[in-house]
Amino acid sequence: MIREYEELRLSERTHAIFKWLAILGAATFVVGLMVAPQRAWSSFLMVTIGLLGMGLGAALFIAFQYVCGAHWAVALRRVPEAMCGILPWASLGVLIALLVGRSIYPWTDTHLEGMKGVLLSYSFVVGRAVIFVTLWLLFVGAIIKRSRRQDKTADTGLSMSNKRLSAGFLVVFGLTFWMASFDWVMSLEPEWYSTMYGVYHFAGLFLGALAAMTILAIWLQHAGPLRNVLTHEHLHDLGKMIFGFSTFWMYIWFSEYMLIWYADFPEETGHFIRRQTGGWGPLFVANMCLTWLIPFFILLPKPVKRSPGMLVKVCCMILIGRWLDLYLLIYPSAVGHESVTFGIWELGMALGAPGLFMLVFVRNFRLAAPVPVADPQLQASLAHHQ
Amino acid sequence: MARNHTESRNNCRFLIAIFEREADILAATAEVRRRGQTIADVYTPYPVHGLDKAMDLRPSRLPWVCFALGLAGASFKVWFEFWTSAVDWPINVGGKPWNSLPAFVPVTFEVMVLFAALSTVAAFLFGRRLLPGKRARLASPRVTDNEFALVIEQKDASFSLGEVSAWLREMGASQIEERVEREAF
Repeated sequence: MIREYEELRLSERTHAIFKWLAILGAATFVVGLMVAPQRAWSSFLMVTIGLLGMGLGAALFIAFQYVCGAHWAVALRRVPEAMCGILPWASLGVLIALLVGRSIYPWTDTHLEGMKGVLLSYSFVVGRAVIFVTLWLLFVGAIIKRSRRQDKTADTGLSMSNKRLSAGFLVVFGLTFWMASFDWVMSLEPEWYSTMYGVYHFAGLFLGALAAMTILAIWLQHAGPLRNVLTHEHLHDLGKMIFGFSTFWMYIWFSEYMLIWYADFPEETGHFIRRQTGGWGPLFVANMCLTWLIPFFILLPKPVKRSPGMLVKVCCMILIGRWLDLYLLIYPSAVGHESVTFGIWELGMALGAPGLFMLVFVRNFRLAAPVPVADPQLQASLAHHQ
Repeated sequence: MARNHTESRNNCRFLIAIFEREADILAATAEVRRRGQTIADVYTPYPVHGLDKAMDLRPSRLPWVCFALGLAGASFKVWFEFWTSAVDWPINVGGKPWNSLPAFVPVTFEVMVLFAALSTVAAFLFGRRLLPGKRARLASPRVTDNEFALVIEQKDASFSLGEVSAWLREMGASQIEERVEREAF
């Protein structure tokens, strides 16, 4: 069965919107650096971690599918593949934050005692960061390169080799990402620590990427390339994954919170107290409602998970929840917990991030056929039912 | 995959067609409905995706039982923990307030799952009348192993055994049998 797939065509207006959003974000950052550098860098770190999450979450999705031998999402694989296009940019952002924006990290100009001092010595942190992002880029780049090459050569051996690379990537990711989240976000409060932090970041990252992927897939179905490809059955599975990982995020959130609440050590509870007082309380609760409570009850019935309109709404809610989650993780430590700081620097860059992301996404999506045309599992994926 | 027949009649006549492939039973089930015959039930060795749609079954009401009892279980447990630890026998644990909601959450979650799961199974068994002492009535003994059985009810005199058997065979039925039962499947 040979099918024709439409190219992604973007109206001038849509493209202009993405472009101007990205320019707005960049302009906000540049002006912010001169007017309010601490907030500009904190906002920059937020955007970077958020975009990195999108890219890594998409890469994890691809890797999971390969390792499981799952066929259902093969037809949609070009969506997460194009999302990975943001990874080089986000990696660059991480290095810029560590090298140029180092003023937001309190440990860069004070020496900490003991092991912590060794772990958070500046050159060691930067060196680790370089190794982490290099490993991720190498693995993800190799997987995507093979997937795209398969379109032309129709070599089924490439699927097998991607399966091995994916297994390797999952192990590498598991060993590096928790450390990366410690280095780049948790170290904003160097006196505080939580061993749940890495898995908490993973839960949020994967949920956010799933939500973005679902929105993009539905958009691409309307825009043309995934018309007659994306079915209610695919949406149903995506909906189930969002439902599951939203609950997983809450589970991890609570696992961290409850242990700290129970033990009640002053050096540990500070993290949560700073996020519940000084006006942060309502945001603290809103984060849980937007990321889990409301999506959970909305996504319970089967028809909702199969409805593109409802899924897009829930995914938007989850993405706002993701933004709020990163805001709550970074701002009280990096900018100050005495009062909620939100203004033009945060808003401008929060709008700029999706603009930049979409520009990169569209460019990357056009680099290959809209579906992996020569993947041996494509037909099974197109005919996917429940 | 069961269809509920509430009206009790004596001596119902059934046509049982045995298939060997999942795709065949799906196609035959849809065809039976297209031709206006009545499906008594379809038996498969494992859950066949899409069969509920082919049989035009209405959505199961079990999720509602699951949801309601899960909610009831969770509410009950929150109340019970509050009552035991804050009202009936207050105990000071680590200086925490007696009514400490975070401490209640794990057990509440587990009791919710327990209530939801057990009540769903119980509701299923009760709804299907799968009570202890129920005698197994199989359309064919091998539906528990590798065969798929489509059971058609012969509703009226216009049912032509020859004609129906002919197109069922055409659709891949390996074996067709007519059976008279005292009660519906």
